Amino acid sequence: VGGISASIYANRLRAEGMGSKDQAVHFAGQDYEALKQECLESGCLFEDPYFPAEPPSLGFKELAPYSSKTKDVEWMRPTELTQDPQFIVGGATRTDICQGALGDCWLLAAIASLTLNEKLLHRVVPHGQSFQDDYAGIFHFQFWQFGEWVDVVIDDRLPVKDGELMFVHSAEGNEFWSALLEKAYAKLNGSYEALSGGSTTEGFEDFTGGVSEMYELRRAPRDLYRIIGKALERGSLLGCSIDITSAFDMEAVTFKKLVKGHAYSVTGLKEVNFHGNNERLIRIRNPWGQVEWTGAWSDNSPEWDQIDPSEREDLHLQMEDGEFWMSFSDFIRQFSRLEICNLTPDALSDDSLSHWNTIKFYGTWRRGSTAGGCRNHPNTFWINPQYKITLLEEDDDPEDDEVACSFLVALMQKDRRRYRRQGQDMHTIGFALYEIPEEYRGCQNVHLKKNFFLSHSSCARSETFINLREVSTRLRLPPGEYLIVPSTFEPSKEADFVLRVFTEKQSETEELDDEVSADLGEDEEITEDDIDDSFKAMFAQLAGEDMEISIRELRTILNRVVTRHKDLKTDGFSMESCRTMVNLMDKDGSARLGLVEFQILWNKIRKWLVIFRQFDLDKSGAMSSYEMRLAVEAAGFKLNNRLNQILVARYAENEMIDFDNFICCLVKLEAMFRSFRDFDKAGSGEAEMNLTEWLYLTMCG
Amino acid sequence: QFMPSDPPPPRRPLQFAEANENEEEKQFRRVFQQLAGDDMEVSPNELMNILNKVVCKHGKLKTDGFSSESCRSMVAVMDSDSTGKLGFHEFKYLWNNIKRWQGIYVNYDADHSGAINAKELPGAFKAAGFPLNDQLYNMIIRRYSDENGDMDFDNFIGCLVRLDAMCRAFKTLDKDNSGTIDLDIKEWLQLTMYS
Repeated sequence: VGGISASIYANRLRAEGMGSKDQAVHFAGQDYEALKQECLESGCLFEDPYFPAEPPSLGFKELAPYSSKTKDVEWMRPTELTQDPQFIVGGATRTDICQGALGDCWLLAAIASLTLNEKLLHRVVPHGQSFQDDYAGIFHFQFWQFGEWVDVVIDDRLPVKDGELMFVHSAEGNEFWSALLEKAYAKLNGSYEALSGGSTTEGFEDFTGGVSEMYELRRAPRDLYRIIGKALERGSLLGCSIDITSAFDMEAVTFKKLVKGHAYSVTGLKEVNFHGNNERLIRIRNPWGQVEWTGAWSDNSPEWDQIDPSEREDLHLQMEDGEFWMSFSDFIRQFSRLEICNLTPDALSDDSLSHWNTIKFYGTWRRGSTAGGCRNHPNTFWINPQYKITLLEEDDDPEDDEVACSFLVALMQKDRRRYRRQGQDMHTIGFALYEIPEEYRGCQNVHLKKNFFLSHSSCARSETFINLREVSTRLRLPPGEYLIVPSTFEPSKEADFVLRVFTEKQSETEELDDEVSADLGEDEEITEDDIDDSFKAMFAQLAGEDMEISIRELRTILNRVVTRHKDLKTDGFSMESCRTMVNLMDKDGSARLGLVEFQILWNKIRKWLVIFRQFDLDKSGAMSSYEMRLAVEAAGFKLNNRLNQILVARYAENEMIDFDNFICCLVKLEAMFRSFRDFDKAGSGEAEMNLTEWLYLTMCG
Repeated sequence: QFMPSDPPPPRRPLQFAEANENEEEKQFRRVFQQLAGDDMEVSPNELMNILNKVVCKHGKLKTDGFSSESCRSMVAVMDSDSTGKLGFHEFKYLWNNIKRWQGIYVNYDADHSGAINAKELPGAFKAAGFPLNDQLYNMIIRRYSDENGDMDFDNFIGCLVRLDAMCRAFKTLDKDNSGTIDLDIKEWLQLTMYS
């Protein structure tokens, strides 16, 4: 419960590096070191109040409390389960991950891939945890969630049924890092059952902060070999699999010993000279550590006899270790899909690997202000957030004559609490790219408007609009400036998102948004003599002898005037609106307006009335919230996405803004620009204030 | 076993949270679900209806009813994701405060006029946890009370909701407890325009 200040505070922390890999956010505010110290001092083992050892932590449906699967479940610490529990024995290996009674094989496949890269693994599974030194029943793990690293603390009470761990366990039986890691990920997601069903790429991303691409090998791009080569060079995680057509097919083994519906890793790529031709080979690994391909270029195949012995020595490992070579063309034919998790600098600290340049944006779609839907909705498409990318350098690829820059755009929707109810959580999302027109090149503070999108077509798009957590597409475009517009498929769908852009070469990216500024004009000089008599008479009648009007009197007078304009839709000015107006004009703190002050206010209202009519396109007497941005701009105020969202959330009703709300909004905007200017006399761009000053300004209205 | 790239499952911490609530929280959640309707968020109009119903039940409170504008403003200062609506926890916080402040309002209305007059106001605000200086009390009375200096119930609640939110905002942004905060224009406008 923090209001807008909470998000401002979060942004400030983020700017200071909170959420980066060196400064993970404490999940639920729990600090591992502090909690552990507390436990050691008190001599008690940690018991986690946020993920209690109780039935609801298991699940809600199949694993719901009182269901048959959760009957007789006990929660036990490894020290109660076995005599000599270990956190990690001989390094983390794939045999430490045996699936339990949960359909989270996707997660386990991702963990298995992770064990192949020690550096990555130990970001997720921090060093220095054990059941021996300073054991306090508390452990912690780190995951990547929507652009930030999160540190998750757990206690080591694990669900046990009939004396056995219910979920992940190690083959050895006394090694617990994998079971504890699964518990931490379950806590992050609310329960163990929440992990049931999913995709390996999701696990990959949450463990590395990388970005995943998926290729259907039937429709592989012509430069796939190059893409895989570069990915391996960069230390990316690569997985491949053979689709199954029915559950019956699951783990069925093909004639040449490939397992269907199973996650393999891609570990190497090589070109060899074979009969005078270049033969492209790929190395694959079965995480089972056995069951290998028996076709061409497999461990004992005759093809190896035909190549240069020195090269053969290098490549040919005749071991039943699950790893094997096959020709690239066989690979494309036999496997159905390839998933690449590209690691970002965020995940890699090894400078020797050439990595992608990453840029991250946090954005939101809000009904009526920034949730514009896709191109099929020309009236609202333009209100979506817009981001600019400048591609500076082309790729160096000797095979390619085309002058183009490779980059990857990934749009991820954040889980929002409102969508978490079953079936409602994922929106259909995607993005489109536009070439930035000549006249806007080099500009930062432009948000392109409706007409631009009516007259220009996109130069690239996400492959599909899809209801996944993330949609990512690899693109190639000539150097230049481009606009990325992320959107939901339908307008008015609200969500938060992270947009990530990865480039091979140098590039610049920024949010294309209007600069925040106000054209306040000169203060109007009016004397009583300038005011016409009928206006004076009306004022005198209401103001009484003191010739000043109170907030309440202002309301009466304004509502009387407005009812004369039959074309305006309004439910009348409220006390709150009038409080704000008095505040804007009131120079002496009396909370009363004199004749001149009232005349100045009235002149402003008249000016804004003209703008309101101009943007009330259908003459309904109310303005569509989509037009608000333009109307506010016409009144001299330039705002960014965030502020436009706020104005709509505050002043629109059912995506419409009526006259009194429009006026109230502009009065307040002007007042707030002015008070900021008063505080920032030096023009430093920062206003400093103490609590009294703060309340004096914010309590006024 | 490996299932390639099906859409990720819906995540369900809400159900988790529900299962972990005590009786009182569960009861409140049932009330909330009735009020909030299908989208599980309370809009300013829904808030207005609720508050006006409450006021009707307590005939002794002087008020001309909560206006839609004052409810919009209350929602705005509580809403952290700028959806224009209140979620369960935001609403619960607001609700508990309103209940408490209603008690204070009745207690500090020493002359049983049904409104809080200028003399009664500092005591009432202090009891609500906001000891202000005279300058601020005067300003608040000028802005929120009527010509006679009487503050009725809807203005009292509207004022305290805002005061509470603004004090919390200040505290949040004054990370090092220096007694002052620094804001740039974007932050300033976000904070003040959404209130």
